[in-house]
Amino acid sequence: MHEHETKPSEIQNPPQTNNLSVPAAIVIAGALIAGAVYFGTLKNAPTAGNNQPQKVAEQPTGTLDQMKAISKDDHIRGNPNAPVKIVEYSDTECPFCKRFHDTMKQVMDEYGKDGKVAWVYRNFPLDQLHPKARNEAAAIECAGDLGGNDKFWAYADRLYEVTPSNNGLDPAELPRIAQYVGLDTAKFNACLTSGRFAKHIEEDVQNATATGGNGTPWSIVVGKNNKKYPLSGAQPYASVKQLIDLALQGK
Amino acid sequence: MLFQALQKVFRKPAYVAFALTTSIVVFTFVVWLPNLSLIVEVMDHSGIPFSQRLGLPISLLGSIATNFTLLSASYTIAIALLFGVNLAVTIYFLRRKISEVKRSGIATGFMGITSGVLGMGCAACGSLLLTSSLSLVGVSGILAFLPLSGGEFGILGVILLSISIYLTAKQIQNPVVCKIN
Repeated sequence: MHEHETKPSEIQNPPQTNNLSVPAAIVIAGALIAGAVYFGTLKNAPTAGNNQPQKVAEQPTGTLDQMKAISKDDHIRGNPNAPVKIVEYSDTECPFCKRFHDTMKQVMDEYGKDGKVAWVYRNFPLDQLHPKARNEAAAIECAGDLGGNDKFWAYADRLYEVTPSNNGLDPAELPRIAQYVGLDTAKFNACLTSGRFAKHIEEDVQNATATGGNGTPWSIVVGKNNKKYPLSGAQPYASVKQLIDLALQGK
Repeated sequence: MLFQALQKVFRKPAYVAFALTTSIVVFTFVVWLPNLSLIVEVMDHSGIPFSQRLGLPISLLGSIATNFTLLSASYTIAIALLFGVNLAVTIYFLRRKISEVKRSGIATGFMGITSGVLGMGCAACGSLLLTSSLSLVGVSGILAFLPLSGGEFGILGVILLSISIYLTAKQIQNPVVCKIN
């Protein structure tokens, strides 16, 4: 018994149906990619950041205009009257937020000193990925409540520094961080267990999703003339700088 | 066998160019995906100098180092490369009209692409398509139970695309065998 490889001319044309599999596969793959774009950019689609599953059709389309106005109630680092403000919706247990926290500190080092940029921090705990994040958001709020704006940022900086991310922070660390930044731990613990900031945190989450946030960190760069640019993810410093420069020019 | 088949395909510079272009397009698309609307807005802004407009999308390519874990960056790059190779090999295969053979390679490639798309990249916390899709059916919580939070689909994509290339290469190398009794 012998086997011979046939020459191309000897090969019979395949049945037509076989040829359809490749175009069909490409079309379906294309549809999937298009779906990725659609769902990825879909404003206010329920995501891991959304606690309660909601139907897309019932949700208004998320737009940056729905961003809650920056007020004295916000946690602002730098000049509150800065021409450019970066509103960051963040999850303390998200590793990318931890990374982006350092990027934002770099931004403030370059643009914050002369009052060009202010950093506004809002909570966006993704409960389904990081169940501990909401309690940590409350801890940061308690720090702000007990010690003012400086303690809020000192606590946030320390928390992002010590957390291993991905839900890895031992809750016992929270009062230790409070002590580290100079807060009264008894008052801090009382605040944390009171649940006093639950509503505020949920409002932040709702506002994040209303503006189109579907992952963390989710940032909105607000420039002169109130022009807003969305920035999703822990983007490189160079990209943030590009956006800040655009916003400073009022473009 | 695989190496010989790939050599046969990529001996032609057009296939190398095609595979590379496809890989670059896929990679760029995945990295830009979380900020596509921003890129469109800036590129479309006539009041911004062209060089400045171009600067943002170029700088956003750097997010492969900041917005991806080592694992997700690795399989994203691997999927982009394998996608390009897979498409080039499949087209070579079809152009030689030897698609008489089993469709297993192509079918596996399709599954690889599907799986890769589901798990590829990471729009910060939560993979884009996967999180959104699962949320639509109310089971996004399942991600919390996956050790890699959806990264499994990316790894599966790499494996399936590799199998697809292997199977297609096998067909190229041994297109049709006629047994003579």
